[in-house]
Amino acid sequence: MENFSLIWFVLFLPLAGSLFQALFGGLVCKIRPKDGKQIMGAIAVLSIAGAFAVGAYLTYQLVQLPAEQRTIQPQVLFDWIDLLGLKVPFEVLIDPLSMTMVLVITGIGALIHLYATGYMAEERDYTRFFTYLNLFISAMLILVLGNNLLLMFIGWEGVGLCSYLLIAFWYKDINNAKCGNKAFIVNRIGDWGLTLGIFLLACAMTGEFAHRGEGAASGRWLSYDVILSAGEQVLRNQPGLATTIALLLFVGACGKSAQFPLYFWLPDAMAGPTPVSALIHAATMVTAGVFLLNRMQFVFVMAPAAMGIVAVVGAFTALFAALIAFGQTDIKKVLAYSTVSQLGFMFVACGVGAFWAGMFHVITHAFFKALLFLGSGAVIAAMAHDQDMRHYGNLAKYIKITSFTMIVGWLAIAGVSIPGIFGLAGFYSKEAIIGSAIHHSEATFFGTPVAPYLGWVLLAVAGLTAAYMTRLIWLTFFSGEERWRQLAPAHGSHDLHTAHAAHASHSSDMSDLSDSSDKYHGNSHSHDDPHGFFYTDEEVAARELHEHHHALDAEHVPKEVYPSMWIPLVVLAILSVGGGYVLNPILEGWLYGGATGAEHEGFPSHMTLVLMSTVVALSGIVYGIFVYRKGLPKKEGDEKDWSRFRRSAGAQFGYDGLVMEAGIDGGGAIANWFWRFIDATVIDGFYNATGWLASQVGYTLRLIQTGAVRAYALLMLVGAVAILSSFWYALQQMGGPK
Amino acid sequence: MSPLVIYLALGAWMFMWGVIGVVSRRNPIVIFMCIELMLNAVNLTFLAFARYQPSMMATQANQVSGHMAGQMMVIFVMAVAAAEVAVGLGIIMAIFRLRDSVDVDEMNLLRG
Repeated sequence: MENFSLIWFVLFLPLAGSLFQALFGGLVCKIRPKDGKQIMGAIAVLSIAGAFAVGAYLTYQLVQLPAEQRTIQPQVLFDWIDLLGLKVPFEVLIDPLSMTMVLVITGIGALIHLYATGYMAEERDYTRFFTYLNLFISAMLILVLGNNLLLMFIGWEGVGLCSYLLIAFWYKDINNAKCGNKAFIVNRIGDWGLTLGIFLLACAMTGEFAHRGEGAASGRWLSYDVILSAGEQVLRNQPGLATTIALLLFVGACGKSAQFPLYFWLPDAMAGPTPVSALIHAATMVTAGVFLLNRMQFVFVMAPAAMGIVAVVGAFTALFAALIAFGQTDIKKVLAYSTVSQLGFMFVACGVGAFWAGMFHVITHAFFKALLFLGSGAVIAAMAHDQDMRHYGNLAKYIKITSFTMIVGWLAIAGVSIPGIFGLAGFYSKEAIIGSAIHHSEATFFGTPVAPYLGWVLLAVAGLTAAYMTRLIWLTFFSGEERWRQLAPAHGSHDLHTAHAAHASHSSDMSDLSDSSDKYHGNSHSHDDPHGFFYTDEEVAARELHEHHHALDAEHVPKEVYPSMWIPLVVLAILSVGGGYVLNPILEGWLYGGATGAEHEGFPSHMTLVLMSTVVALSGIVYGIFVYRKGLPKKEGDEKDWSRFRRSAGAQFGYDGLVMEAGIDGGGAIANWFWRFIDATVIDGFYNATGWLASQVGYTLRLIQTGAVRAYALLMLVGAVAILSSFWYALQQMGGPK
Repeated sequence: MSPLVIYLALGAWMFMWGVIGVVSRRNPIVIFMCIELMLNAVNLTFLAFARYQPSMMATQANQVSGHMAGQMMVIFVMAVAAAEVAVGLGIIMAIFRLRDSVDVDEMNLLRG
């Protein structure tokens, strides 16, 4: 007999790990100054790895069951909200979708934790970092395991909080704190949509149950098992309602998964430590939107227009972010825009109705994107925390393991394959998405099926992906010249030692930064904040002083990273190679029991398509190698020489600036108008007028108060006459006095 | 016997002059007298009703008590009026001592 209540270990091991780190981390590090960090790091990794082991065991149990029994009765821990008509238990759902996500989160998460023990080894706030990291994993697990929308919302907000804490982990650098704020605020916009969607769905469900007269006893209107059966009946006859709910939920998904209107927080999230970037981009936060779409797919299936919008937004995001990636010089930012672009692929998959393909790409993307991020972290560590690709070159000679694994990740994201025989992980999932887009016509946009066009767009984006990833790999690992050799004199008039002395003296309160090996954290390329929205001028000025302290100089020799850092790289490289090949034949049947009504031809379906995408991927790679074979092209070296396209791509085609301008200046103008007109004129005017009226009435009435007794007597007489007259009149009305 | 309405009209006539007196005169003594006039107008009405009541009353016993009720009320009114005048004259004396005048128009301490 399977014991599925073991699921609580999956859920609470990371949480317990986080609590332990928070409560005893400082103590352990104080008692064991030499190896305290190793102990705490090991505990952090073990709590996630333990969750993964339990999750794997439960998944194994689930596989043993027949396909139609794989949705286990929800496991209830306690009643969380119990109102008269609404009951929200703390319950978890075990089904193939949630367990798949659990395995991805804990599996990739454990590897990233292991990597982080090495990457953060010099950090003073070591245990704080792992507190947040474990909490991040547990929030994400609540998100995917919760059996109702409110629990999902807890996890949803939990990952939002943890992303804020982690992006701004080096909070003493103002830029990092700023990026954390930005991620948090932009995510609130998405949450606005998500909460409204949940409310609307709850309202619709309430109406249905009131109509049926049942369900009042259970009241679990937000639980998936209830809304799945009842929701279809409710929404089938109300396409407008279904579309509204679907679009509101999609706004939430846009915020978390960085789709077009709300994508711009994700590249700034690079300000956090690199393991955080890997965790956000690969395993946890940004997959939440795709997971939401998968979980709530019954709503989307009933709203073709919403599906069309999802697909179009996804395709546009994929294209837009891929173009922006060409204008980035920061190695992590290229990867960040690549994530935004790949998320667009996943949304197109969901939009055209191939939800499983979206999940497939989530999984394979988790493999190779985690690999690429951790690899870039290893490169950054080897290059003294310089993140500018223009300062790299020929690193394959120095850091062999990192370069080899990153090359695997590059080929995997580019979707390289030997047609008909074998492909890397990204190939299969990308093929599944493009293939379903071209073949499906569920997604309609004002009556026109859009999916096939989007499929061709994605094929083009796949070529772009191959090209910009080749740029990244080639500039970093190959291209002959070691460009940091010419670096040091070019960097400012001050020499490096005085710069460091200034740095140390200026930041005596930042000893944790200056005594670690990380002389300069985070990215120096996030945009400026001309509006002073987050910080005052003084703070920004203080921040400016910290810029341009590269420890990278001409004599620098890149070194390979510790084993704790390259072991995850190797594991992820193996997954990136074989993951797609293994999962491709089984994933759709596993996730949706083969009963989705989708076409079952298996992807890749047509040899022509496979050949085309292989040609596209290879041509992207060939283009990249051709351009960058001799090192950095002269016109890419200095940003002044950049071409028009690259310059505008580097500035996100002005979108980020536009949004910030609209948000801050436009929002300020609106707020100003509200203040001046609504508040100062209308509301204040109303209350002032009320007071004026009362005083005028009082002033008038005062005239009557003469104090003369006879005047009062007269008034009494008039009143008495009036009362008697009214009695007389009333008597007349009732038939007159008899 | 004259009809009831004659008495009521006389009462109303007296009451009206009482009111006019209270509202228009400045001397408190005259105002008191006018109040007495109003009280007596009401007394007259009471007595008239008491006298003419039998036609409206059903039983002999009620007629007797009805007679007495009206007259008792008149006695009460006169007693209360006498007590009121005693108090009122006292107040007027006190005001006169304080201000050397009892002109009602000058007594406006209640003014708002």
